[in-house]
Amino acid sequence: MKEETVYLDNSSSTKMDEEVLEAMKPYLFEKYAVASSEFGYSLGIKAKEGLEDARSTIADNIGANSEELIFTSCGTEASNLALKGVAEKLPEDKDHIITSKIEDFPVLKSAQRLEKEGYEVTFLEVDDEGFVDVDELEDAINERTGLVSIQHGNQEIGTIQDVEKISKICDQKDVLFHTDATHTFTKLPIDVSKTPIDLMTLSAHTIHGPKGIGALYVKDGTDIEKMMDGGFQENNRRAGVENIPGAVGFAKAVELVNEEENQRLKGMRDALIKKIQDKILDTTLNGPAKDRTPQNANITFHYVEGESITLHMDMRGFSVSTGSACFSKSLEASHVIMGIGGDHERAHGSVRFSFGRYNTMEDVDRTVKAISEVVKRLREISPLGKDK
Amino acid sequence: MAERKINVKGETCPVPLVETRKAVRTAEPGDVLIIQGDHPPSKDEIPMAVDALGLELLGIEEDGKNWTIKIKIPAEV
Repeated sequence: MKEETVYLDNSSSTKMDEEVLEAMKPYLFEKYAVASSEFGYSLGIKAKEGLEDARSTIADNIGANSEELIFTSCGTEASNLALKGVAEKLPEDKDHIITSKIEDFPVLKSAQRLEKEGYEVTFLEVDDEGFVDVDELEDAINERTGLVSIQHGNQEIGTIQDVEKISKICDQKDVLFHTDATHTFTKLPIDVSKTPIDLMTLSAHTIHGPKGIGALYVKDGTDIEKMMDGGFQENNRRAGVENIPGAVGFAKAVELVNEEENQRLKGMRDALIKKIQDKILDTTLNGPAKDRTPQNANITFHYVEGESITLHMDMRGFSVSTGSACFSKSLEASHVIMGIGGDHERAHGSVRFSFGRYNTMEDVDRTVKAISEVVKRLREISPLGKDK
Repeated sequence: MAERKINVKGETCPVPLVETRKAVRTAEPGDVLIIQGDHPPSKDEIPMAVDALGLELLGIEEDGKNWTIKIKIPAEV
């Protein structure tokens, strides 16, 4: 009998929890109306209660007030809204934005777009483990700086930035601070009542919640322009009928995460890294050994291409991803691996393994066995081989 | 039962393997896939995939720098 697929791409998206679906169902089939105020009909009022309960659950988790949370269609929209929405409201003399070179695409591309529109953007370098130099960041802030956006945890190599320190520097210098917490939300403690974060991106589908829903935390008093014109939903900050089933599912997903699960992810991550390093020669761990998101392992297997590895792993029933992007025929290497000083060979041979709720230690052992075989055989035929 | 040709001449890794996998996914049991290419590593990589997927390798022919790999889709993949 064919064994079940081992899914190790949970940083891209996760399997939705059954309990999340159950929580969403009433808002799809019973309380399906558009959210309405007390002046509307009962079905709409019940829908609104569901939406606000969900908002409150998620806000509580990060130490925010409910009204500081804007539901969006995804994390990408939240980051776009954070950067572009804030930039539009910045005073004319605040036209400088700071971010890092290894941000995920929503922040990176939004910053590049703003640069084209005339803002000055500083893309900070990172060290060989992906850390932003906090002193360098402080030095980069000038009297024209209006916004700093530095992610909490990196999407590819798991580096956890010191957002506490960075946010305090920004606070002292009266500069707004945004962080993309897509890969750390519910996995690492974040408390905006204690840490001066002004804007934070959150997403549901990376925590076993539904796709199509994300959120942006916007600290009370932060001026932000809406990106889409339309209705007055989300306190007139995001137009469009609210995705209430999505919001309810998002909140349920938040409730289901616990510290024990995060420790389990960390255990599997560490076991995988150690077993691969023990068993396979010529590998490089991308990202730090410490201060790494619990779910992430990223390893370069030298002399082979990441895409070949992912294809052959897939044929054996394992889902992993690579920082290589030859599929586009652009030979574009991962901007994150290049950002930490890697060369094209290191970037193209990098494989990301990201754990989730449904993985087990048995998956780790099966993965190590399969990748050892795949790498061995690919190295035998690789034109990049040591001796070739 | 049908015979299908996949021309990946001029393509390099991993495209020949991607095209082979795509053809395997849409093939019917008993079909024969004839993959024609010229990228040397793919000539070794495709049989590796055939093995992993439990397909039948009917043969590999070489003509100068060109190669042809024949694969049969078994009754149940």
